[in-house]
Amino acid sequence: MKKYLDQNIKDIIACYPGVGDVLNEYKIACTTCAAGTCRLRDIVEIHNLPGAVEERLMEKIALAISPAGGLKLPGSRRNPAPAAGGIKYSPPLKRLVDEHALIKRLLALIPRLVAGVDFGTDEGAELASGALMFIRTYADKYHHAKEEDILFKHFDENLDVIKAMLQDHVTGRGHVKDAASALAGKNGAAVAAHLLAYHGLLTEHIKKEDEILYPWIDRSLSITQIGELFSKFIEADEKIGAEIVSRQQKFVEEAERKYGDYKENTK
Amino acid sequence: MTAMEGCPGSSMKDFRKKDSEAQENKSRVESQLRQWPIQLHLIGPAAPYYQGADVVLSADCVAYASGNFHNDYLKGKSIAIACPKLDEGQETYVEKIKEWFEDAKINTLTILTMQVPCCAGLVNIAVQALAQAKRKVPVKSIVISLEGEVLSEEWVK
Repeated sequence: MKKYLDQNIKDIIACYPGVGDVLNEYKIACTTCAAGTCRLRDIVEIHNLPGAVEERLMEKIALAISPAGGLKLPGSRRNPAPAAGGIKYSPPLKRLVDEHALIKRLLALIPRLVAGVDFGTDEGAELASGALMFIRTYADKYHHAKEEDILFKHFDENLDVIKAMLQDHVTGRGHVKDAASALAGKNGAAVAAHLLAYHGLLTEHIKKEDEILYPWIDRSLSITQIGELFSKFIEADEKIGAEIVSRQQKFVEEAERKYGDYKENTK
Repeated sequence: MTAMEGCPGSSMKDFRKKDSEAQENKSRVESQLRQWPIQLHLIGPAAPYYQGADVVLSADCVAYASGNFHNDYLKGKSIAIACPKLDEGQETYVEKIKEWFEDAKINTLTILTMQVPCCAGLVNIAVQALAQAKRKVPVKSIVISLEGEVLSEEWVK
């Protein structure tokens, strides 16, 4: 039984496709993950399901592997899931979740802009340029840099979950670069396509971080590490300066005021 | 169990275990205390053992209720104790805690209180100090039951 816990999920699903169905049933999206190299043990631990739910999940996985029965997979959860009432983050992780809130507001604008703005026009190009600037400065230089330079350094960067998050950052930067090239070539359709791809990527990325990765990180860090992270995040914020942040907040607020109606138009 | 009417902080509770239920651990527990003094009126917030430390601010009764206080809460940390119900001159407590945040640059503060309502005053004092301080740090509140169980554990800030 231990060999399955230490095997990567892609190989398990390849041999026993029923395991993928079980994971889907529990909204654990390993079947759609591009990497799929996480160990079953880590997947169960990181989702931190309530005790009885995890027990049932492991029973179903065991049955999917061995339909005749007889296989028993122990849970690998270290701490019980928190009671109902929402996720409570530690102060440094709460800062990152709060930063996500502004990024999500920009992401929410993207489909509306794509539906209602021609990025080939001067006005459209200026707007796309502003959105790309937001992504480069606020989402990447301000937020993702804290994860890459500080938060993830507390963990083995070869951990699959960390590698997957870093890969999302790289893919996102690729979309931004391609959108900027398309913008320079006045190719409005390509700008729209890359912005939409970024929207899809980051929406999923943030959901994974807020609901799975950050709670797992909170469970993994000692109080000393929590305090150190908090101080380092404040130092990083002071280094980048409040002006960049307020300028990008202003951009989102103005874009919402000006283009927020597209939401109604595209319903 | 016998209960008296009135203030929950001083009402009588009897939870003596029967001999057969009591689990006796005869191994000696090493003290994790690494400083003196510890009473909040007596400590100097700038003392070297507070510099950059993870600090525990514990209500007096907690160490008696929690069976494994030294290993669970004190190990590797610096401490101060106080009673928000009986101590006088608590305005100086706010100042001292603020000095921990700003001058001693403590790393984190964990406040340990009992479940009785009057104990919440200690959390309020720390929150007041944090609100006044220019430098912020993570502050956690842990509430312990009369029988030593953790009732809640949450980040205050």
